[in-house]
Amino acid sequence: MIYLDSAATTFQKPRQVKAAVARALDTCSSPGRGGYKLAMNAAEELFRCRERAARLFNVPDVERVAVTFNATHGLNIAIRSLARPGDRVVISGWEHNSVLRPLHALGADIAVAWSPLFDRDAAIRAFDFALTGDTRCAVVNHVSNVFGFELPVYEIAALCRKRGVPLIVDASQSAGVLPVDYAALGADFVAMPGHKGLYGPQGTGILIAPGDVTPLLYGGSGSDSMNPDMPPYLPDRLEAGTHNMPGVAGLSAGLDFVERTGIDAIAGHERALIRRLIRGLSGISGVRVFASPDHGRQTGVLSFTLDAMGSEEAGERLGAMGFAVRTGLHCSPLAHKSAGTLRTGTIRASVSYFNTAAEIDAFIEAVSAAARGS
Amino acid sequence: MDIYYLTCRSLTYAQRVSRSLTAAGLRNMIVRAPRHMSREGCGYAVRIDAGEPGRALGVLASAGVPPKRVFRQMREGGYEEVPF
Repeated sequence: MIYLDSAATTFQKPRQVKAAVARALDTCSSPGRGGYKLAMNAAEELFRCRERAARLFNVPDVERVAVTFNATHGLNIAIRSLARPGDRVVISGWEHNSVLRPLHALGADIAVAWSPLFDRDAAIRAFDFALTGDTRCAVVNHVSNVFGFELPVYEIAALCRKRGVPLIVDASQSAGVLPVDYAALGADFVAMPGHKGLYGPQGTGILIAPGDVTPLLYGGSGSDSMNPDMPPYLPDRLEAGTHNMPGVAGLSAGLDFVERTGIDAIAGHERALIRRLIRGLSGISGVRVFASPDHGRQTGVLSFTLDAMGSEEAGERLGAMGFAVRTGLHCSPLAHKSAGTLRTGTIRASVSYFNTAAEIDAFIEAVSAAARGS
Repeated sequence: MDIYYLTCRSLTYAQRVSRSLTAAGLRNMIVRAPRHMSREGCGYAVRIDAGEPGRALGVLASAGVPPKRVFRQMREGGYEEVPF
């Protein structure tokens, strides 16, 4: 199987991640639940994970790094912390359902700052227009999970700061792939999964949070136990219940891998593969490729459609040929509406640092065969 | 050499305190705070062995991670709080 679904989960993990998961099962119990060696091993592993995340994402205070189950978990916390029912919340037209559904469930007044695909200037103008005086907060996706479109998140963050609007950044597709600088962004929250570009195991995530937060879960934190409420300080306020220590250890090793490899090297490799894929697919009759005219602003994610068959059918066909891709709406109906692909969906190929040019060439051949109906 | 306990609001905070002391060359150890040091329950403290805690407290003040309270372990048993 050639794996091209890293925008969902990076399946190929660095060997040190696998080793860290196994080691944690042997050496870590529960952090914050005792002073004995196994508990303190876990505490050290967890703190090291926070330190690595704080360093990679330029977070000035390690206590602001909360461990979550995934990006969705973090986004739910962020949204519940900032918005109340009826509040106007501005979001980009490229948000995932992990943003849209919590806002819908909350009963927020959702205002979408629509902009065309790969048009960064239009995205800035849309936020400039939408950030009205009664806006409670804004949410922006750093990179579209469907199209790899890098939104101008730093410019949008500057607009939000200027208007005094708190900002939540969804870094699901950018963490580990692009520089995510919490201090430079000046965002209130940045949420990310551990299992995509950070190469950690599934069931891990990070939320970088300000001091004032609303917990989503309530329970034991190993601290402030006489208090019937969650502790008022981070990260304990957001971390009820026992931590996923094998996951945390793997995530920590993944963060270390990303830091040692370098964001530039990872991004450069992934962009080179996607450019190769764009060139290959663009030469096939009956294939529509959604490529940025400025390749520098497209990450290792590419969507395309086939004239010969629907996206789901194409995905099945490619799967049978040994290629793992994602098809349909990718939990992002807003993004498809923005791009005009809501009716058809797309086939999405997404790469990681572990994919090779040979794999891309093989995939191009397979798509060519599918497009011919053979 | 006396034993001092620097109580902290959370384990993560205690780890920050410990890292700062270690970086300054001061040996320390994170321990569960004895019950009466942590009125809120389930607290952590950083234990240091020192003639007096002044240098450690100076390091922590510079690092922006002051402890919550400071206790000295008395030779005859028990602990006394040290104002700082």
